[in-house]
Amino acid sequence: MAATEMQVREKASPLKAKSSSDDKLMRLFILVIGAYLVVALAMPLYAMLSKSVLNSDGGFVGLSNYFAYFKTPALVYSIKNSLFVGLVTTVITVSIAFVLAYGFTRSRMPGKPIFKTIAMIPILVPSLLPGIALIYLFGRQGIINWALFGHEIYGPIGIIISEVFFTLPHALIIIITALSIADARLYEAATALRASSTRIFFTVTLPGVRYGLISAGFVVFTLAVTDFGAPKVIGGDFNVLATDIYKQVIGQQNFEMGAVVSVVLLIPAALAFFVDRLVQKKQVALLSSRAVALEPKPSRRFDNGMLAYALVVSFFILGILGMCQFAALFKFFPYNLTLGLSNYQFDLMDGGGWDSYFNSIEMASYTAVFGTLIVFYGAYLVEKGKGLGVIRGAFQFLAMLPMAVPGLVLGLAYIFFFNMPSNPLNVLYHTMAILVISTITHFYTVSHLTATTALKQMDAQFESVAASLKQPFYRTFFRVTVPVCTPAILDISIYLFVNAMTTVSAVVFLYSPHTTLASVAVLNMDDAGDIAPAAAMGMMIFYTAAGVKILHYFLSRGIEAKTQAWRRSIEN
Amino acid sequence: MTDAFLRIENLTKNFGSFTALRDISLSVLEGEFVCFLGPSGCGKTTLLRAIAGLDIQTQGRVEQAGIDISVLPPSERDFGIVFQSYALFPNLTVEKNVAYGLESRRAARTEVTGRVNELLSLVDLADQGKKYPSQLSGGQQQRVALARALATSPGLLLLDEPLSALDAKVRTHLRQEIKQLQRRLAVTTIMVTHDQEEALTMADRIVVMNHGIIEQIGSPEDIYASPASEFVAQFIGTMNFINVVVASANQGTHQGGVLKFSQDNVSQGESARLAIRPEDVEILDKNNDENSDKVLGKVVSAEYLGAFLRVTIAPEDWESNLLADISTDIAAQFVIEAGGDVGFRLPPEKILAYQENK
Repeated sequence: MAATEMQVREKASPLKAKSSSDDKLMRLFILVIGAYLVVALAMPLYAMLSKSVLNSDGGFVGLSNYFAYFKTPALVYSIKNSLFVGLVTTVITVSIAFVLAYGFTRSRMPGKPIFKTIAMIPILVPSLLPGIALIYLFGRQGIINWALFGHEIYGPIGIIISEVFFTLPHALIIIITALSIADARLYEAATALRASSTRIFFTVTLPGVRYGLISAGFVVFTLAVTDFGAPKVIGGDFNVLATDIYKQVIGQQNFEMGAVVSVVLLIPAALAFFVDRLVQKKQVALLSSRAVALEPKPSRRFDNGMLAYALVVSFFILGILGMCQFAALFKFFPYNLTLGLSNYQFDLMDGGGWDSYFNSIEMASYTAVFGTLIVFYGAYLVEKGKGLGVIRGAFQFLAMLPMAVPGLVLGLAYIFFFNMPSNPLNVLYHTMAILVISTITHFYTVSHLTATTALKQMDAQFESVAASLKQPFYRTFFRVTVPVCTPAILDISIYLFVNAMTTVSAVVFLYSPHTTLASVAVLNMDDAGDIAPAAAMGMMIFYTAAGVKILHYFLSRGIEAKTQAWRRSIEN
Repeated sequence: MTDAFLRIENLTKNFGSFTALRDISLSVLEGEFVCFLGPSGCGKTTLLRAIAGLDIQTQGRVEQAGIDISVLPPSERDFGIVFQSYALFPNLTVEKNVAYGLESRRAARTEVTGRVNELLSLVDLADQGKKYPSQLSGGQQQRVALARALATSPGLLLLDEPLSALDAKVRTHLRQEIKQLQRRLAVTTIMVTHDQEEALTMADRIVVMNHGIIEQIGSPEDIYASPASEFVAQFIGTMNFINVVVASANQGTHQGGVLKFSQDNVSQGESARLAIRPEDVEILDKNNDENSDKVLGKVVSAEYLGAFLRVTIAPEDWESNLLADISTDIAAQFVIEAGGDVGFRLPPEKILAYQENK
């Protein structure tokens, strides 16, 4: 009897695998990195959400802050403004990027690598920089302000031009990818059926890239709506959600209202993010089909047209950049055209001086090193770990979340969380560490996805083989996983470095007099009317980011050459 | 008989509400080469992964060399494994791949090199050690994976569809090579495959699986000559099936008439399926009435396959066609051509009978 009872009980509960020491170690590590994400992301966001339902004394007031918000017409008007800027920027950027991407993938225009490189430049500058250039070009004393026919650059026009500049590379990358997966066989079939080129464009080309266009649209919209740099510099009286947060917090010290606006800003960003995720899944399905690569045929007229177009876009980008560099080099553009470095005497201005530049480099280096370690190892544990399914799922969710959280919102959340007197972590407040942590967290998602993609391309059985050979997982991690993923690891560290150099939004709430940053210095010098020094500092950021990018290029080339013998197998 | 080296008892594996393996029990002897054979989704790989500890079973016991390893993680079991993808480390040379399991065992360097060289010559790749996996052909990569799995002299070798990524010619060659190697080393081996030819040529014993259960365990000859179930009968080799109602003992009726069979494993009055291999169909002179069980039919098509002729016959009044393999010299005695008449009989002792599954 007892035996049958035992058997019955045994039947009821499934067998539990005994954990190896590897499994235990991996679980410990995933808990550690998971704890990082909880502390650096989930808890600050929670602190911010709860702040929005508290009054300034910390008492619970329900939704009354929200009611107050929606009763203030000036604030509510910003929602409309933000959506307007976001939508117009989306339409313009995606259109420009689509034609450019089309030229890059479907024409035989000369100089593609140069034009592609130029089109990527905006990634290397803070979003404040185009605004500064526009002031010199179209401002009240702008050298070509007649071109606006009496319209004011301060306001939606300036913001939208700046956002188009700032978002162009992001849209371009996505659309180029979408266009390059086209299947040549479809075009051959359509041509064989004697479809006109217009008909082919509308029946083959456009449907093929529709997910790419939608995805690009959402990315651009999110960036434009949540960007803070452009409206701050050139927005004038045209208020948007992002500047409202800044004004409520920095200007009026009204943290509760800042929290409310943050939640409002979180909604379109989060919405765009989740729709984009859905669309991306469909895009992947398109990608997996076996396509024959499309080789564009030469066509003199079309190629020249595309070349002319690429020249115009490049002129726009280089013009903005060149304007800043000119303004920085002349004593007082456009009135005193004596060349000199007086605008580089940052120590004489607000914003922290040259120290802020070196702080930025320090901060970006820490972000690159520690960020890459955390992100790559975290992604590895999520991909290859065993057990703890729920925790790994939660980890994955937290890793995707920063994409949906605008930088300003994250920065404000950090104030609320790390400045709490009861929080033992408040020792971090006003340190370099909090800047690094916020930046890693802010740019976590893209880095995590890069790492995950690289890890997924590896044979899923490596770990099984290693276990059968009784090798500890970390040996395989260092001897196989890391070497195979080196290109992705480099990409992640460069991405983090460049973004840490250029970001303003999260860190603007978190720097201290000892940890001023170059990008924030651009903001503060511009605020104080030192526009030329702001341009000079902005260009310093550009040169640094560009230098690191070039370094990265040669480093990757070197690694590629060195590992050529074995990498062939991964590519095919 | 010696004790089983690997013993699996009442093993069940559920994925959510789906049962991938249902109450599997089997034993593997030391040095034996066993194939898990079945269509995709039959649970053969799931069973292999449970034996390796990669995906542990929901219920049941796995015992290897007298030790209960049911819940042990892979690293605490004693096996080497070769996957369909080989999973060779791309950034390590062939030598380093093979040495991967040896190095950390604190073995002396020269000892490791010696062992690696020994293994590489065992798989006939002695001169390829310095190359990277991507520089080798598929068949060579497969042998590197085999050498790596054998390097630590595991008690059990697991092969998960090791040949299916290769083209046909290499596959046939490697079949023999693996089999010889296995015999030489006398390592207990389990191979998962969906390819019956692979199983029939390589295995000492075949475990035929379907829908998470074992349909039959037996030697290749057993499995081919006396399939234990209708599934095995139609999965292995080519088989003709005829639906009948069992009229009386050893007699089945169908619309084409009466068929005699010698098996008595089906109950009277019920429907059954009779089965016969094409090579067991006997061709008769259509004009000779000596045989009472002669059936007449029309030749639908006749394919010449070298040693024999594969003839598709449409017997008079039958539901479906019948395949017959006729050796070329017998065929020469008759006129067999598409559209012509033909006579044949189904020898009762060659007919297999299966109760119709309801």
